[in-house]
Amino acid sequence: MPAGVTPQATSERRPADRQAARRAAGASLGRRRLTNRLAWIAGALCLALVAIPVLSVIWGVVGRAVGNWHWNVLTTDTAGNGGGLLNGIEGTLVVMFGVAVITGVIGIAGGLYLGEYLPADRGQILRGASEVLSGVPSIVLGYVGYVVLVVQFHWGYSLAAALIVLSILVVPYVTKTTEVAIRGVPTAYREGAEALGMRSGYTLRKLVLRPALPGIATGLIVALAIAVGETAPLLFTAGFSNKAPTGQLTHSPIGYLTYLVYTYFNVPAASAHALAADAALVLLVIVLLLIVIARVLVSMTQRYSPDRRQRVGRAPT
Amino acid sequence: MVADIGSPEAHDGSGTFGSVMAHDTAGAVARPAAATTSSSVALLDHPVLVARDVSVGFGAKTVLAGVDLEFTPGTITALIGPTGCGKSTFLRSLNRMNDKVRGYWRTGAIEFDGEEISSHQMDPLVLRRRVGMVFQRPNPFPMSIGDNVVAGVKAHRLSPRRELPAVAERFLREVGLWSAVSDRLSDSPFRLSGGQQQLLCLARALAVEPDVLLLDEPTSSLDPVTTDMVEDLLRQLAPGLTMVIVTHNLAQAKRLAGTTAFLYNGRLVETGETERMFEAPNEPETVSYVSGRIG
Repeated sequence: MPAGVTPQATSERRPADRQAARRAAGASLGRRRLTNRLAWIAGALCLALVAIPVLSVIWGVVGRAVGNWHWNVLTTDTAGNGGGLLNGIEGTLVVMFGVAVITGVIGIAGGLYLGEYLPADRGQILRGASEVLSGVPSIVLGYVGYVVLVVQFHWGYSLAAALIVLSILVVPYVTKTTEVAIRGVPTAYREGAEALGMRSGYTLRKLVLRPALPGIATGLIVALAIAVGETAPLLFTAGFSNKAPTGQLTHSPIGYLTYLVYTYFNVPAASAHALAADAALVLLVIVLLLIVIARVLVSMTQRYSPDRRQRVGRAPT
Repeated sequence: MVADIGSPEAHDGSGTFGSVMAHDTAGAVARPAAATTSSSVALLDHPVLVARDVSVGFGAKTVLAGVDLEFTPGTITALIGPTGCGKSTFLRSLNRMNDKVRGYWRTGAIEFDGEEISSHQMDPLVLRRRVGMVFQRPNPFPMSIGDNVVAGVKAHRLSPRRELPAVAERFLREVGLWSAVSDRLSDSPFRLSGGQQQLLCLARALAVEPDVLLLDEPTSSLDPVTTDMVEDLLRQLAPGLTMVIVTHNLAQAKRLAGTTAFLYNGRLVETGETERMFEAPNEPETVSYVSGRIG
């Protein structure tokens, strides 16, 4: 080791050197404070960049819809250039429920397999395929669904075709978020459970899935929000209907809110524009409700998470 | 009964320091007595856990070769040796915790209660209930304090549901945690101090009433006061429970264990009565290690 860098040598430096060192330290403190402030400002700007569009969308939609809002749009079907949204709301809810079931099962099972049973360095083909799938434009999936399901299988515009295409579209999100959430569960839980001789299924339910639930639920909610907000794949597969869903899986087109937003906004009639704004508002409310429900469910199950050490309403000790 | 650990702040009080010293003297006095008890038990019983010519490793690497060890009921055995000598791997082999580790292999025989632990007759879940384990870092489950204690009891359906609160109380008392947590059994365990969390994990391990308890450096993340309490507790458990403790703390091995085994460079160098191991070791490596020249 060269003598110049030993601690003794540092303390024996000439006074002038020490003053220079102190000045340098002062300058670097000032620079660090400046950097800190700039980083804060940058962070605030980024927050604004995200928050402003959200607020403006809410403002725009609410502003357009509230002016001529009638509660009966919730209870009547679409008719001509106006009418109500009941068929669209019912259709959207049915589609949402169907997608939740299909992606909930396939996506969570897939994520569980990738996160819990497959070592991190294996399954690259599966992960790669999932990523490619999440990158396929929704309109392409819609077109494929149209060619294969609607035409080839002779299902016609139908709920089944819509559910399959939308589920394929959002399954990768659920799989990915589930995998990440499960990998985030501390190994110490699994080890502790193993050391007590707990069955692996019991461990999985009580000590892996439960702590992973916030991540899984968030993924599923994002997936559902994407699914109910999609228009292109539904235009190809669900068609549109002015009536409530029939309950048939095939040979029966189905209404949905995004169609009303997209199509009626292009109809040159005041009543159609009003209906489009109403549909957008209802869609927004559904998505917000989804998020709120997910948050409440998650907070109910995470009472004993290590992240929540303080009792609610109490100052940290 | 071990004195209760109060809230973490309580350790600062001067009264607590007084009680620490009391613990120390009590321990010093109790030690020869405990040794006598365990040796008399040893005369009566066969070893509960036996390792014969055990070699373990991962893939092409051999971690430990040709280990012969016997664990007599009611005794505490310390496994000592420098980091990476295979203490923990060996310990985890005793309740098959390494089974799922990729590339793990073992040769030789490990017999629990006269039965090879990897045989088809041996249910690994039953084995792990009867051969419990406490880890280096406290690992409470994300459930209430009360549920943590009875987690294993519930999983193995050892007690009817309505008796679970009583079971929880019994084992929290046993580890000396009851008075500190009795009014907040439904709280999160992560609000407890590290030492309290470790005692909770100990209560959880004891609640399934194991025959053997494997302890993998159980006090290395704890403060001296709590360490002392855990040691006291282990000493008290000893007549009814066989314990194997991995420790880096030679003083702890001296204080706790009747038998000490020294592992070094992938083999069992020497084993014997703790006092002899420290006072008059046979092997030059043991001499070096216990005197602090290697390690």
